[in-house]
Amino acid sequence: MKKTLIATATGLLLLQPVAYANVDVSGYASVIGGRVLSGTGVESEGIPPSFLANYPLVGVYEKDWSFKPDTRFGLQFRANLTDGLSATAQVVARGADDFDARFEWAYLSYDLNDHWTLQAGKKRLPLYYYSDFFDVGYAYLWIRPPADNYTWQIFNYTGVNAMFNYFVGDWDISGNIYTGREDDSQNKLLSEYFPPRQPTREIWKNIVGGVLNLNRDWLDIRLTYMTYINERYRTIDGVVERVTWGDSLTRRGKFAGVSVNMDFGSWIFLSELNRLDLDGGKFDTYMVSAGYRINQFTPYISYADFDSANEKHNTTSLGLRWDFHSNAAFKFQYDDVKDKSEPFWEVAGDSKSITFGVDLVF
Amino acid sequence: MTLLKAVCGALMLFSGALFADIAVIVHPSNNASVDQAELNRLFLGRGSTFSDGSRATPMNLAEGLPARDSFDTKVLNRSSAQLKAYWSRLVFTGKGTPPAEHPTAAAMKAAVAADPSAIGYIAAADVDDSVKVVATF
Repeated sequence: MKKTLIATATGLLLLQPVAYANVDVSGYASVIGGRVLSGTGVESEGIPPSFLANYPLVGVYEKDWSFKPDTRFGLQFRANLTDGLSATAQVVARGADDFDARFEWAYLSYDLNDHWTLQAGKKRLPLYYYSDFFDVGYAYLWIRPPADNYTWQIFNYTGVNAMFNYFVGDWDISGNIYTGREDDSQNKLLSEYFPPRQPTREIWKNIVGGVLNLNRDWLDIRLTYMTYINERYRTIDGVVERVTWGDSLTRRGKFAGVSVNMDFGSWIFLSELNRLDLDGGKFDTYMVSAGYRINQFTPYISYADFDSANEKHNTTSLGLRWDFHSNAAFKFQYDDVKDKSEPFWEVAGDSKSITFGVDLVF
Repeated sequence: MTLLKAVCGALMLFSGALFADIAVIVHPSNNASVDQAELNRLFLGRGSTFSDGSRATPMNLAEGLPARDSFDTKVLNRSSAQLKAYWSRLVFTGKGTPPAEHPTAAAMKAAVAADPSAIGYIAAADVDDSVKVVATF
């Protein structure tokens, strides 16, 4: 009797890993501090000397040291349910959000075959090259992808995504096609930073987009396109108003971009060029960057630019990445921002800042 | 003269330890052929099949083992930091998971010998007839 019980119990214990999914836990963290050395601010808006390091989350450095704008922690849980099915959730807490932890990703993934994977749920919007791994500082060169490029207020979506991967000749061809929507009841950038600084609900609906990656040896090319319909509501004195653009209740955005990266082992060249067309208004961004690996050290330089009818700014950055540990990198960066916007369209004015910190993955 | 020999011998031993010959191993029943480009594809998560179309399951040695360092450097041409940065992007965007890791050459051989789809590597000196060598570097 006892033996049977023990045998049954042992059997159950042995069976357990099969009956229940293995849950892999992994994570990343960036602890970054910095301050503005000098800056103009924007007098008409009452903005002191500032460096807007993260637009969508309103991560702003000022003249006092701060560790909030770029610091973040992420934990990922991935349950592998076998036969190609998995469930993934990622919780992210960011200093710019007062470390209010939220589910940024929550999706199911199913491998249809060796080439195609279907995903459904909440994911990061893969607009720019670094959009979907913006939080994973360890995965890229700088302290952060250049702020002038990554300015858009919506960075998540809920919907479906089909990913593919083929090998043709010497080229790896991968990419994805996605559709969905995002309804952000209180958008941080629009509610807290851009005038008139009133609670703003931002909706991007009918999102349809695709990404194509062409990869061969040292060359990595990425093409991206997305279109969506924008709808916006603003609450002024407790009254919800629908925002209109001319006579229109909505506007259509069309985003297109190309990125070319080259990795020669020691030398790395990175670039991206993007245009968002919002009902005819053009918002152009580009970034060029170069780094040189010397064992564990990679000094780098980058230039990023944002250009539209009224809003214009650029950032020149110099920095160093030091891979001092097998799971962590120390980074130091100097950023020189020039805000050349038309009067009353300035974002944060000119600024010179330093930031440094550690990125790690586990 | 003897001293020179001793120094040369020590240097050879030293370089031997740093860049040990790596044997890429598969299940004895596996008839696929692999080259360096294909190993890059499999071990960087860009492909999941052998040249004959059958499924491939790449397996790594644990980080820090000399044979792992040699494989990363000689076959994948990347430092461990570069590979970690590469994989962290894929892992946290749901685009891939790195190969499973084995703590010792013995564990690697046992895993490869037990799985017809497996492809792994060990120091050439650790090879025995439980596995088949398809390439050396």
